[in-house]
Parts: sequence; C-alpha cells; structure tokens
Amino acid sequence: MLRFLLNRGGQALIAAFGVVTLVFFIQRLSGDPTALLLPETATQQDIEAMRASLGLDRALWVQYLDFLWQMARFDLGRSFVQNASVWDIILSRLPQTLQLAAGALAVALLIGLPLGLIMALTRGRAVSRWIMGLVLACQSMPTFWSGIMMILVFGVWLRWLPTSGIGTLAHLVMPSVALGLLSLATYARITRAAVVDELSRDYVRSARARGAGTGRLVRHHLLCNSMIPIITITALEISQLLAGAVIVETVFAWPGLGLLTVQSIAARDFMVVQAVVLLGAFVTIGANLAADILYSIVDPRVRLGAKS
Amino acid sequence: MNHTMKALLTGVALAVFAMPAFARDITIDLAGEPSSLDPQVQWNPDSYYVYRNIFDNLVTRSNAGEIVAEIATAWEQTSDTELTLTIREGVTFHDGTALTPEDVAFSVKRITDPAFASPQLGQFNQITGAEVVEGNKVKLTTDGPYPALLAQLVKLSIVPKAAVEAMGAEAFNASPVGSGPYKIMDWTRGVSVTLARNDGYWGTVGPFDTAVFRAVPDAATRIADLQAGTADLVVSIDSDAAAQIAGNPNIKALSAPTERVAYLGLNLDAPPFNDPEMRKAASLAIDNLGITEGLLAAGEVPVAQLASPAHFGYSPDIAPFVYDPDAARAITAARPELAATPVVFGTAPVFDQRVVQALQQMLNDVGFKVEISMTDMPTYLAAARAEDRAARPGLTFGRWSCACQDADGIAYPLLKSDSSWSRVNDPKVDALLEQARVSLDDKVRLDAYAEVAKMVRENYYVLPMYQAAVLYGAATGLTFEPTANESMFLNRMTWAE
Repeated sequence: MLRFLLNRGGQALIAAFGVVTLVFFIQRLSGDPTALLLPETATQQDIEAMRASLGLDRALWVQYLDFLWQMARFDLGRSFVQNASVWDIILSRLPQTLQLAAGALAVALLIGLPLGLIMALTRGRAVSRWIMGLVLACQSMPTFWSGIMMILVFGVWLRWLPTSGIGTLAHLVMPSVALGLLSLATYARITRAAVVDELSRDYVRSARARGAGTGRLVRHHLLCNSMIPIITITALEISQLLAGAVIVETVFAWPGLGLLTVQSIAARDFMVVQAVVLLGAFVTIGANLAADILYSIVDPRVRLGAKS
Repeated sequence: MNHTMKALLTGVALAVFAMPAFARDITIDLAGEPSSLDPQVQWNPDSYYVYRNIFDNLVTRSNAGEIVAEIATAWEQTSDTELTLTIREGVTFHDGTALTPEDVAFSVKRITDPAFASPQLGQFNQITGAEVVEGNKVKLTTDGPYPALLAQLVKLSIVPKAAVEAMGAEAFNASPVGSGPYKIMDWTRGVSVTLARNDGYWGTVGPFDTAVFRAVPDAATRIADLQAGTADLVVSIDSDAAAQIAGNPNIKALSAPTERVAYLGLNLDAPPFNDPEMRKAASLAIDNLGITEGLLAAGEVPVAQLASPAHFGYSPDIAPFVYDPDAARAITAARPELAATPVVFGTAPVFDQRVVQALQQMLNDVGFKVEISMTDMPTYLAAARAEDRAARPGLTFGRWSCACQDADGIAYPLLKSDSSWSRVNDPKVDALLEQARVSLDDKVRLDAYAEVAKMVRENYYVLPMYQAAVLYGAATGLTFEPTANESMFLNRMTWAE
C-alpha cells in the first residue's frame, strides 16, 4: 500500500511541476499586461516605467527561476491590478466556489444517481426513455442560457429566488442547479451503464434466485459494485465543476474563483490567473489521487495491479 | 379607544409609512468591482464610479459640461506656465481633519511622481510642480503653456497627506479616507462596496443613506436585477436591453452622448489606403446613419471630425460624410489592382464587433478585400502601434476618449506624426496641433482645430464616425442625469417615490 501511495504521489508531483512551468510560459507568450494597465494615451516611456516597476523587464529565465522559488515557498505574489496579495484574493473567493461546487455536486448526485438507477432497472420501458430524454435535455442546455432563463422565471417573474449575488441559502439554489445540471446528466448515464453492466452478472441472478427483492439487490449488491466508474467520474466532475463555474459565476454574479478568473484574464492580471490555474490543476491532481486511493480501498485488485 | 392607544397607533402608522422615505438606500450594478479605491493608482470606470463619491476633485464639471469649482473655488493663470488655485476653506476629511492647501499640493505631487507609477500619470505629467502659496492657495507649474490643464484637473482627486502617510498604500486602498459626499462603510472583495452618507459634507448632501455598488458582469443579469427591483441603477446596457425594458413602468433606460469618438483608422503608409481616392471610396462606402440608428441605436451622434459637441475645439462647420456606394464602386473599379489588395482589419474583443463586421461588409460591398483579424488586446495594441507603420493593420476601429473633453486629447495622439498611435504625416497638421496645444488663447485654439478638422475631412486621413452614447437602466423613481464624462455622482441624484 505504501509503495502504491508513493508511486501515485510521485506522479502527482511531476504533473504539478509540469503545470507550473506551462502556466508560466503560456501566460508570457500571450501578451504584455502593461499595455492594459495604462490608458490608451500612455507613451512608450510610461509603458517602460510600468514594466520596470512590475519586474517584467527582466530576462524570461530570471523571471521563471524567481517564479519557481516563489512556488516552492507557496508565495503567490501580489496582484498588479488589485494591489493586494494573491493569497488574500484567492482565499476571499474560495469559500463561495466551494459552496457552489458542493451545491452543484449535491444536485448532481442526489438527482443523477437515483435517475440512473431507475433507468437501469426500467430499461426497455417508456419510463426509461422519458428519463433519458430529460437527462439529454439537461446535458444539451448551455449554462449561460439555462442560467438566464432560470433568473427570468424564478427571479423576475415568480420572484421566488434572488436574481443574483450571494448572501442566503436561497441565493445558492439557482447557481447550484445551473452548474449541477450537466454533471447530473453525466451521473445518470454513467450509473445507468454501470448498473446495467452489473445486472447481467451471475451474482445478480443468484441473489434473485435466493429471493432478494429489488431494494435489497440495489442496496447490498449493485451500488457497491457499480462504484468504480462513479468514483472516477466524481474526480473528473470536480474539475469540470471548477471549469463550468466560470460561466455560472458570471451569469449569477457569484463572486467565486470562476468570476475572478474571467476578470483577471480580461485585466491581464498574471499573478491571479496563474494562481487560479495552479489551484485548478492541483485540485484535479488531488482529486485523481484521491480517486486512485479510493479505488484501492473499494477494489483491492487495483492495488495489487500496481505492485506487479 | 383611549388617547394613549390612539397616539400609539398613529405613531406606529406614521413610522410604518414614513420609514421608506427616511431610509432610502440605492443599489447600483456595475460590470466589475473597483480594482482599487485609492483614486490615484488605477484607471477604470468601475473604480471611478465609486471613488469619485468618496473623494472630491480639484474642480469638476457640471451636468451641462462646464468646469466649475469644487475644492478649488477660484483659479487664475498667473503666468503662461503657472495656474494659481484658491482652496476651499471649511472642508474636512472623513477622519475629521481639515483639508488644507498642503493636502492639495501633496495629491498633485503624489500622482505626478514617476516613481509612484500611477496609470493616470500621462494625464498629469505636464505638471512639474505644486506649491502652497500665501492666502490658502496652491500654485501649479507646467512644463509649458498648457490650456487643457483645468480639464485634466477635473479628475484630480484630493487625498489627505497625513492619512496616506500614516496608513500606507495598502491600508489606504482598503479603507480610503476622502472628503466627498460619501464615505466607505464596507468593501467585500469581489461582491460589493458599500458607502454611507457623509452628513457633514460641505456641498450638496447625498439623498441616500447608503449606496451599494455591486459587481454583476453579465448585462442580462443586471437587467434582471433591475426588473426584479434588487438594483436601482445599472450600467453598460445595449439598445436591445433598453427596448426590452421600455414596456415596464417601473424601470427606464437613460442615455447620453459621451466624449468617446468612434473612428475608422486607415493605414496611410500601405496600399490601398495610401491612395487618397481609395480613402474617399471607403468614406463613401460607410453608411454611418445605418450604423448609428439601425445597429447601435443608443443615441449616437454621427460626426465627421475627431471631436464631438462635448469637446472644446469641436468645429460646427465640418460637412458630414456622404454615403454613396455607387460612387465608391466607381472609384474602386477604376483601380482594380489597389482594390484587390488584401486589407487586414485589426481588432480585439473589447471593440464592438457588430460595428467591425458592418464596416467590413460595407467596404467589401464596394469592391475592397477586407479581412478581420481578431486577436487579444495586448496583441492588437502591439500591432496597431508597430514601429514600422506600413506593417500595421490596414484598418482599425476604435472609440477614443481622453476623459478631458478637449480636442487636443483625441487629435494630438491620433494625428500628430510623432505620436505612437498616429498614421498621419502632415507637417501642416503637426504645426496646427502644436500651436493649439500650447496656446492659452481660446480663439487661436478653436481656429487651429477647425483647420485640422477640415484637413482631415478633405484628405480622409481618418474616418471619424460617431460620438458614442452610453445607456443606463434605472428605477423609474430615480432621477439621474447621465453626462458626457460618464460621471455617477450620488449627490446629484434624487429619488421620488
């Protein structure tokens, strides 16, 4: 088990280093932030002065080494635009993003899993096809459209929910649903496929022969054995949720990391953009590592495979 | 019912009905949050909508556009390079200290110090000195005669020397201390800034107890907030949204022409626009009215010069461009080789792509071969200001504002041959621009700008298009007069139930 952990942990570290390097160079390739920080009327001298004051006039490799050293100390630097420490900015946005991701994941899991299960158990029947239609509709609606539609219906027309912003639990409902819909569809389809796969196995026939009802069959046999693909998907979905949050947060004026990303990219706020991208990468790497470890707990074959 | 009971009920009823009138607050949806509330360290609308209510400026513009007293009560040009301003007495900062001429001199020196690296430096860098003189006055020195100085001082916010020095840059940014009609109450990063009324304000006191400025990036969401009544004023909406709210009795759209002038820039150093006839063809191809009234429809005003009626130096005698695609076709047909030269139309997402695409189509309809090249902003800026002028994009569309409402602010950077933005190389235009820039005689300046406008129009050096408009959405009860400089002063608004 220890070797398995070290192996996976080492891979995660290499991935993290790669991400840090890529983020640094891609951002520098994409343009000079100083032109955007100054008014159009700024002269070349003004631009040079600004570049010097931000340290952008140094050689690229010096900036890169400096950046690596900073990362090693977990120093994310200061935002040129907001005039504040990047850690403070990120930490002020993180709680909202976590709330939103949790809300969306709850929507996706609590609705998507049962729907998938029902579809599997009723496969071939009209109910199953209807649910599949609904799931496909959820998956096909772009969030910027479904978000605005929800705002118009529930915020402006019915006035049940606040139109935008944060504050109460009611504020969380629409953004969570908008963000969760896509994952909901994924969960429903993956669960259906996994359960259908399990249903054809011998142990299910034996259990039925022993007289197990559908409820017992699902609880004791099917769910546990269908878990591997669902765990895999959860790891992927968490990173998906972070990416999807960019649009949802913009539509609902939800002050999370997604909105921060959009604003910082528009303002060429290098420091913040690279911090957010790194955070996203680390979350993805972390989630995958956690999924690997979870597999090995749920299904010992994974662990044994790693040894050989 | 006894008297006590009656009195009590009356009291309750009064309290219930009178409450809203006392506790009127306002919520304003901006597109983004202020990047900073220190008035001297950034340059973007989301910041100055907010901080200009916290800080007073040296002078200001009335809603009609005239430069009027604010912290300076009077001013006098004491020599060609010296402006002496009398500082208002009895003004206090939110921390209770008095605003003195020392604070004014400090504010000027702070923003003009190159080491401070303010993004606004370019607007004030002709000021070389600020000193306190006897009689509650401050004397500003410029590096030459500078007629646009007062117009620039409209944006110079006064910060308290003692507080800035004691608090340090970061703390001052987080809780700025000004002398304006509102003071900072709370700033929740990424969410909102809340201001509270300064009851001891020396001028017109604001009508709202508190004002909340929120960051709502999506225009459709800002409109929804307005419709649901959770916002009272929203910025940056387009004419489609304005039409959408037109039928709703609770909200209204407000519009005003701004001091931004939209223009089509031509590369005079490369074919086909190095040929004056081809430039004329381009001007004939553009249906300016179709763009302003059909496409944008927010109250844009067509212009044929690089200034608008909101600018000092606007010349009322410049003839509008003619729209005649047939005449344009005749010109391009006579020059098939030039017309077939591919033209790159450089642009970035920040520019209104509806206009860019309309222009492309209008030009191609008369025989040009225009291709749009969309890049991100820094790449666009680098291409549009490339050292080798012939290598710059053949066409660019821009909306220029100097935030000073003076013809100098647009004409000088876009037309003076040695400016990094200019594509024009005409010694006569250069001489006129230089003359107008340093003359303190209004008549001389107006004549020079009229001559420049005429030359630009005759030679089609640049194709000015329209004076851009700005649209706001507001609750019906709110009185807010949009201005050309896009100010948003809370103490100039009123609220009627």
